[in-house]
Amino acid sequence: MRAILKIAFHNLLQARLRTTILTLVLAGVTALLVVMGALSQGFTDTLRTNATALSSGHVNVAGWYKSKATDAWPLINDVGEIERIAKENTPGLDYVVRRDRSWAKLISRDHSFFVSPSGIDITAERRLKSILKLAPESAYKDGGQDAPVGSFDRLVEPHTAILFASQAKRLGVGVGDYVTLTSPTGSGRTNSIDVTVVAVARDMGMMSNWNMFVPSADIHELYQTADDTSSAVMIYLDDPTEAEAVMGHLREVFAARGYTVMDHQPQAFFFKFETVAGEDWTGQKLDLTIWSDEVSYIDFMSTALDSVTAILIVILMGIIAIGIMNAMLMSVRRRTAEIGTARAIGMTRSGVLAMFVTEALLLGLFASLLGAALGALLANGIDAAQIQPPPMVSALLMSDTLHLSVDGGQIVRAVVVFTLVTGLAAVSPAIRAARLEPVTAIHHTS
Amino acid sequence: MEAIVALNKVVKDYPLGKLTVQALRGVDLTIAPGEFTVIAGPSGSGKTTLLNMIGCVDVPTTGSVTIAGRETGKLKDRARAKLRLEKLGFIFQTFNLIPVLSAAQNVEFPLLLHGRLGTRERQRRVAELLEAVGLAEQARQRPNELSGGQRQRVAIARALVTEPAIVLADEPTANLDSVTGLAIIDLMKEMNARRNTTFIFSTHDEHVMAHARRMVHIADGKLAEDRALAPPAATAEAPEPGATP
Repeated sequence: MRAILKIAFHNLLQARLRTTILTLVLAGVTALLVVMGALSQGFTDTLRTNATALSSGHVNVAGWYKSKATDAWPLINDVGEIERIAKENTPGLDYVVRRDRSWAKLISRDHSFFVSPSGIDITAERRLKSILKLAPESAYKDGGQDAPVGSFDRLVEPHTAILFASQAKRLGVGVGDYVTLTSPTGSGRTNSIDVTVVAVARDMGMMSNWNMFVPSADIHELYQTADDTSSAVMIYLDDPTEAEAVMGHLREVFAARGYTVMDHQPQAFFFKFETVAGEDWTGQKLDLTIWSDEVSYIDFMSTALDSVTAILIVILMGIIAIGIMNAMLMSVRRRTAEIGTARAIGMTRSGVLAMFVTEALLLGLFASLLGAALGALLANGIDAAQIQPPPMVSALLMSDTLHLSVDGGQIVRAVVVFTLVTGLAAVSPAIRAARLEPVTAIHHTS
Repeated sequence: MEAIVALNKVVKDYPLGKLTVQALRGVDLTIAPGEFTVIAGPSGSGKTTLLNMIGCVDVPTTGSVTIAGRETGKLKDRARAKLRLEKLGFIFQTFNLIPVLSAAQNVEFPLLLHGRLGTRERQRRVAELLEAVGLAEQARQRPNELSGGQRQRVAIARALVTEPAIVLADEPTANLDSVTGLAIIDLMKEMNARRNTTFIFSTHDEHVMAHARRMVHIADGKLAEDRALAPPAATAEAPEPGATP
C-alpha cells in the first residue's frame, strides 16, 4: 500500500497542470455545495429562530374547544393548571409563556387585511424581545425619519399593538396611530377593538405578513373569553433538538392526567380549523405540537433549496466524474510503460487498480478539503457581510439579510461524497489499466 | 544441480490478423543457478519472446516453462506476479524506471510490493545496492536527471534488491554507447560472481556476447546453437562501476 500511495502522490505532483485544473474544479464544486448547504442551514436556523419567537415554542401545549360539533376555537380552559403540569413535567425546561391565538381583520382608514394577532405578555417574552428590532420610521412611512420610533415595552399597556413594517406601510399607519381589530366571537357576534401602534418591527420574511402582537387582555376582550383561558402554553427548552421527545413525554403525562389529547398532526394551528370543525365531538381537547409543525407550511423553501442544491451538485458531479474518467484514461495510456514495469516487477492486477483509484482518491480528498475550507470561509464571509437580498428573496428566506450557517457534519459529508465520487470515476480507467497484460505493456514501452 | 530454468518444447504463437506467427517453435532449454547466459540472435528471431517466457510475463502456447520448480503455465495471474516478485529481476532495454520516483525510491519499489521488510532493512538494502552500482550520490535524483548508463545501473539495483534467483535483461546495452554498455555488462558479471545470481540477457552485439560464459543462439524461433564461451582476456576499456558514463 505504501508503494501505491507513494506513486499516486508523486504522479499527482508530476502531472501539475492536470492536478491543478481538476483540483480547482473539484474544490469549486465542493465550495458551492458547502455554500448552498450553509444557505439551506441558515434558512432552517432562521426559520427555527423566527418561528420559536413569533408563533411557536419548541413544544406547544395548545388545544381546541367546541361548544357544539361545528365549532372550532383554539382555546384551552384552566390554562394555569395546564401550565403547572407542563412546567413540572418538562425535562430541560428553560421557560414557558402563554399565547392567545386569533384570526382577525386588521383595519386602518386606508386599508384592511386578515392577520393572526397573538395575545402576549411582553414582559415574559424573552425570545420575542431579543429577536424583534425596531424598524426605522422611513421603512413604512413616507418622509419618516431614519431612526426607529416607539418601544416594544409599551405593549404592557392595554389596547396597544406591535406591527411589522410591511403591515404598517400597507395600512398607512405609524407609531401612535390606531388600527381596528375585528373578529367574530363564540356567541356569533362580531367584536372590534381599537389598538394603538406602539412599535413597528423590522420585517422577518413572509411570517411578518400575518403575525402581529397585542396584550393578552386585548384578545380576551375581543373574543369575550375568560382570563383563565389561552390558546397555547409555549414551552422553551435548553436543548431544542429534544423537542420531539419532550412532546411525546408530555402527551403521555397529559393523557395520564385525564386530558383528551388529539392525534399528532404536524400542521400549523390555523390549518386545523376546518378539520376540527368537521369532527363530531364537543368539549376540550389538547393538541401538542413542536415548532417545526407550526412552520411546516413553509417547509417547501427548505425542500426547494435542498432540491436545487442536489440537482446542481449531481449535474456538476457528473461533469467532473466524466472529466476525471477522461484524465485517468489518458493517464493510463501515457503510463502504459509504468504499468508494464510494475506488473513485470510483481505488482498484481489489484495493485494496479488500487494505484489509479488511490491517485483519484488522494486528488478528491485534497480538492474537497480545500473546497470545503473555501466554501466555509465564503459562507461565513457572506453571513458576516449582512447582505440584503431583494424583498422577494428576503420574504422567502425569512430574513432581511442573507444568513448562512456552516454545519460541521455537512462539511464532512461533502468531503466524503466528493472523495468517493472522484475515486469511483477512476474505477473504469483503473480496471482498463489492471487488465493490461504485462507482456503487452512491456512491448508497448519497447 | 537442479535447473533454475527449464523449457520443454516451448511453442509460442501470436495471432496476426488471419495469420498466426510462430515466435518460438519447440524450444528446449535448461539453465542452472548462477549461470551467466546470453541469448543471441538477429532481430525477430524470438529472443524477447523467450525472455518473456522465462520472465513469466507470458505463457507458452504449448510446452512448459518451469521456473524455480514451478510450471508457469499452470499458475494463476496472481501467483505468476508473486513468482516474478520473489524469484525474478528485470532489466529493460529502455530502463523502464518509474519517472516520478527518485533513484532510491525506484530501487525500493519491489521491496514495498514485497511488504515483508521493515523500513530500516529496506533502506539498508537500497543504500548497499546503490553503493554497489556506484550511484550513492545520485540516490535522490529522478530518472530524468540521470544519464542512460546511470539509469541502467538503477535498473540493475532494482532488479537485484529482492535478491532474486534470476535476473533477466532484454538488450540491456542497446540504448547505451559501447563503453557504457560494457561497463553495465561488467557490473552484471560482478553481481553474478558476488551473489551467484543467474543472469540471462539478450543481445545481438558481438562485443557484449563475448562476455557471457554460455551462449544460446536463437534463429527463426528455434534453438540454433548452445555452447559454453571462454572468458574474455580483459575489458580494459570499461570504466569502473561508479564512474559516470
